[in-house]
Amino acid sequence: MFHWLEKHPFFFAVGVFVTIAFAGLIEIVPNFAEASRPSIGTKPYTTLELAGRHVYIKNSCNACHSQLIRPFKAETDRYGDYSLSGEYAYDRPFLWGSKRTGPDLMRVGNYRTTDWHENHMRDPRSVVPGSIMPAYAWLFENSADVDTAYAEQVTVRDFFSVPYNQEIPMKDGSKETVVLADTLAGAQASALEEAKLVAADMKDKSVQDAVSAGQIPEIVALIAYMNSLK
Amino acid sequence: MNKLTLWGIIFAVLMLGLTWLSIGGSKGGLNDDIVNMLAVAGAIALVVISVFVVIKYVRQMQNDTATGKLADKNWDGIGEYKNELPAGWAFIFLGTMVWGMWYFLVGYPVNAYSQIGEYNQDTAAHNAKFEAKYANMDGTALVDMGEAVFLAECKVCHGLTADGIDGKAANLNQRLEAVVVKNVLVNGSNNKLLGFEFPMPTGTDLGLSASDIDEISAYIGNGLNGNEPAMFGVCAGCHGAQGEGLDGVGPQLNGFNNTLVTNILTYGKKGAIGTMPKFADRLNAKQIEAASAYVTSLSK
Amino acid sequence: MENRPLEYDYTVAKMFMLTTVLLGIVGMLVGVILAWQLAFPSVNTILGSGVAEYTNFSRLRPLHTDAVIFGFTLSGIWATWYYVGQRVLKVSMAESKVLMFLGKLHFWLYLVGVVAVVVSLLLGITTSKEYAEFEWPIDIAIVIVWVIWGLSLFGLIGMRREKSLYISIWYYIATFLGIAMLYLFNNMEIPTYFASGGIGAWWHSVSMYSGTNDALVQWWYGHNAVAFGFTVPIVAMIYYFLPKESGQAVFSYKLSLLSFWGLMFVYLWAGGHHLLFSTVPDWMQTMSSVFSVILILPSWGSAINMLLTMKGEWQQVASSPLIKFMVLASTFYMFSTLEGPIQAIKSVNAIAHFTDWIVGHVHDGTLGWVAFMIMAALFHMAPRVFKREIYSKSLMNTQFWIQTLGVVLYFTSMWIAGITQGMMWRAHDEFGNLAYSFIDTVTVLHPYYTIRAVGGTLYLIGMFLFAWNMYKTMTAGRRVEENELQNASPMAA
Ligand code: HEC
Ligand code: HEC
Ligand code: HEC
Ligand code: HEM
Ligand code: HEM
Ligand SMILES: [Ca+2]
Ligand SMILES: [Ca+2]
Ligand SMILES: [Cu+2]
Repeated sequence: MFHWLEKHPFFFAVGVFVTIAFAGLIEIVPNFAEASRPSIGTKPYTTLELAGRHVYIKNSCNACHSQLIRPFKAETDRYGDYSLSGEYAYDRPFLWGSKRTGPDLMRVGNYRTTDWHENHMRDPRSVVPGSIMPAYAWLFENSADVDTAYAEQVTVRDFFSVPYNQEIPMKDGSKETVVLADTLAGAQASALEEAKLVAADMKDKSVQDAVSAGQIPEIVALIAYMNSLK
Repeated sequence: MNKLTLWGIIFAVLMLGLTWLSIGGSKGGLNDDIVNMLAVAGAIALVVISVFVVIKYVRQMQNDTATGKLADKNWDGIGEYKNELPAGWAFIFLGTMVWGMWYFLVGYPVNAYSQIGEYNQDTAAHNAKFEAKYANMDGTALVDMGEAVFLAECKVCHGLTADGIDGKAANLNQRLEAVVVKNVLVNGSNNKLLGFEFPMPTGTDLGLSASDIDEISAYIGNGLNGNEPAMFGVCAGCHGAQGEGLDGVGPQLNGFNNTLVTNILTYGKKGAIGTMPKFADRLNAKQIEAASAYVTSLSK
Repeated sequence: MENRPLEYDYTVAKMFMLTTVLLGIVGMLVGVILAWQLAFPSVNTILGSGVAEYTNFSRLRPLHTDAVIFGFTLSGIWATWYYVGQRVLKVSMAESKVLMFLGKLHFWLYLVGVVAVVVSLLLGITTSKEYAEFEWPIDIAIVIVWVIWGLSLFGLIGMRREKSLYISIWYYIATFLGIAMLYLFNNMEIPTYFASGGIGAWWHSVSMYSGTNDALVQWWYGHNAVAFGFTVPIVAMIYYFLPKESGQAVFSYKLSLLSFWGLMFVYLWAGGHHLLFSTVPDWMQTMSSVFSVILILPSWGSAINMLLTMKGEWQQVASSPLIKFMVLASTFYMFSTLEGPIQAIKSVNAIAHFTDWIVGHVHDGTLGWVAFMIMAALFHMAPRVFKREIYSKSLMNTQFWIQTLGVVLYFTSMWIAGITQGMMWRAHDEFGNLAYSFIDTVTVLHPYYTIRAVGGTLYLIGMFLFAWNMYKTMTAGRRVEENELQNASPMAA
């Protein structure tokens, strides 16, 4: 049979394809069938948080930071509860990472704060001597791309039924709603409101001035995103 | 001995030595941790098997000769022997397949193993091991434990020596800095420092002038040393004559105590310097107690 | 025609040889920069803090991986395909104008793709998925390039005179099919600009899959991209170049056969070992561990087949640096395909995952196996495509030893760094608290990061020697006749 296949490239190729394709089916399909449902308390990202997530991706923070807490005592001690599948329901793409040059950030919003991030992102070694994380000074200059974040929100709402403007059950039994504006202008305005709250806890004068003037520096969006990681 | 065998052994010894070094790098070495042991066993197996196998084939290159029946065909001059499979290889291949089936169907039957189940067991065992120890831990042992907690959890903000890294977080070698006091007097404070909602009135509410506020802030920032400002009496009503605090009325201002720090760790604290996150979910009660003991010990 | 040797046309092979060398140097130069950045963070602002946005570790890292994978390795695969394919199929590209055109189109479109990738990654345009960072416009370009390769691959096969396909061809076919399937499914994404009616950046897209599902597809891709990018096509190379250069017949057809089909079957099941202890179902994790262990054998099959092909030929190994490269490549192949399965065992992965031990594994595979084999292939090809003798054998020897030392420094330092770090993360002190804050586990790695950087620098120096040797071969090597090119490549002392 193999000698025959080796003389008939078409059938050879079909044979190879079948051999490599069906493992994929068995590996991937069952989990898809069980489409990942959001956990109680998992909310879609707001416009500003999503813009911050884009800043995170743009700078490949995932090259050094994971967002996946494995069920080991040492990890839950260090980072908090182990991850659940449903907590990632709105993560497109997933950002688990594969290398922890720096610590996991899955729940960093629980134990780091705006002003700390501000110091740390501008100059990691000023707060953590010996850190090898790059300083991200340009995040204080560049403006976040709120428009693209809004475009993505609209896309996931329309294609994947992500529940914006719907009541979402929280762990304590209450309900919360993540608002998605009807228009781009509306989204820009609500992102700015959110940015003002973050900037209020920051020390950098130029950031505060920028936000007052209606701009959103990347650092503000990024911090909003990191604070949302809980 | 053959030169290559020698190199092989040198290499193996080097790698094993490095592995040994890595273990030494961790407090307590293997730490009785089965995962550590298996990982190291894996590393050793990797080195030993690789060296052994490579030496085997090098030997064949050195001493053996190519034999077998050549196939009729050749491609661009490349021929092929019709040799049988190397027996060892075929045997191990079959073996791993059988093992794989067994592992999946019998050894770890689908769904009979759960990583979360394993986690729960590990955590329970860990907690049980330390609960007994915690029961009668106090005094310097508690402060030592607190220092360990501090070094693992707090030093990224407060610095190795708890000096607050140039004003980036609170300097814990002293209770209050003047800026913090001033901020509280200007804006009030409601950080549940007493363990429940009870705000600190603003200076205006207390009838202080701007210069009173400056004076009092400087005084408290100086550890309540120097001349007591005239208006300090207003504060003493709630915080005690020496700022030693009054239970359930006002927190201590001239130093730390267990309740105060525990409340800060439980609820977090937002002030002039920045925001201190809460640690209630990350640390257990004993760890919080220990951290408090350590912080309290710093300014003494 | 039957009685005289075919005049093979190596135009396209030469073009891809050039990009192999060039992108190899670029990719590894970036790798070396990364390594120094982790040892000394001030290297992040090496060109001034004004441009640190483009020179810092995290912006450059995807550039490194994509430059060495889609630049260096892929160019190497194609350079050898456009060489080996003609020879073992006994058909010249010159025989078909269409194939020549497709081949050149393949190269030039690829080059456009490379430029687009470099620019977009430097600008931070990425989807974040490892080894699949490109946004949708580049995905489309890649699919087009791939289809063109497919046409020229199957076109050449269709015209062949040699009816039966040589082993290398099996592997090239598998490379083509494997990557095509993986790449398509992992890059299913919706361009948000169009979906939202024209808002935001036109190149931005959002993944069709979310969370755990996204991870599953990504590592089904990521793992098998290693299979069909770093293993299958490199095996294709060694099956041609080692027997050819040494003049030895392949040890066993049966072993070739079983290794090939075994590899095809087993590889695909093992992708879950990148997701151990994550939120994918337990049974899937167990399955991937099992298949990873079974995978040792089909992998080793090819390596053993090659080592046994050299049975009794030690004098060749000793005297020819070209053969040394290939023999060492197959031993590193064995090493990394034993290391991988060991790291895939759940308890070992609990330590190894997320640490530098994985990075060590990656580089004993890529530096010791992939890059060694590609360079050996190019060395063998050079005299045949340029009709000149290899410029300097002693330079080759020097390169071999410098680079071997480089790899050894690289993976030994990462071995120790990874195990140290993994154990420190897990350690509890006598009070039951974490023994180390994260930063403690970073600062202890400094010496190992430095050693790795030195090792990487040595390897890069070897790359420069390689490039120089190739250049001089092309321009200044002694001209050789067809009859000098049967087996062992001619090389000047
Ligand atoms: C070169 C690797 C590297 C890159 C790239 C990197 N980091 Fe880090 N990061 C580290 C290291 C190492 C630490 C631990 C030391 C420290 O706190 O600085 C860290 C710590 C952190 C922390 C503190 C987490 C904690 O638990 O203490 C945050 C938050 C963080 N990084 C965010 C980011 C973001 C956001 C980016 C991208 C914009 C980024 N990092 C890029 C290496 C990196
Ligand atoms: C009505 C009672 C009351 C009076 C009078 C009062 N305080 Fe307080 N003070 C409190 C309470 C309650 C808190 C804790 C608030 C909280 O939970 O954040 C507090 C907190 C503070 C804090 C913050 C401690 C910290 O760690 O942040 C400072 C500083 C302080 N008081 C200073 C003063 C000074 C100075 C005066 C006098 C001018 C004064 N207080 C008068 C009740 C009082
Ligand atoms: C993310 C940074 C951060 C971390 C981590 C952190 N702190 Fe703080 N902490 C702060 C900041 C900022 C303040 C100052 C708040 C203010 O402005 O008054 C503070 C204040 C405090 C205070 C109050 C000092 C005073 O006199 O009012 C105590 C006590 C304290 N921290 C203890 C700890 C302990 C113990 C830990 C670790 C278990 C810890 N902190 C971890 C940032 C942090
Ligand atoms: C039998 C064969 C192999 C097995 C079973 C295997 C297994 C593994 C495992 C378990 C990991 C670590 C996953 C993690 O914990 O993050 C890994 C990572 C990796 N391996 Fe292998 N490996 C094999 C061969 C190879 C070879 C030959 C190469 C390359 C030449 C290679 C390249 C890689 C790369 C690039 C990664 C890193 C993936 C990432 O980005 O996280 N592997 N492999
Ligand atoms: C001079 C040689 C090289 C050096 C110094 C080097 C250095 C590095 C560094 C520093 C990293 C980042 C590791 C980290 O994040 O901690 C890396 C990642 C990587 N490199 Fe290299 N590299 C070199 C050559 C290569 C080659 C030739 C290849 C492939 C053919 C390669 C493939 C990769 C891959 C796949 C990763 C990602 C690993 C992962 O995510 O686990 N490298 N390299
Ligand atoms: Ca990786
Ligand atoms: Ca893509
Ligand atoms: Cu893999």
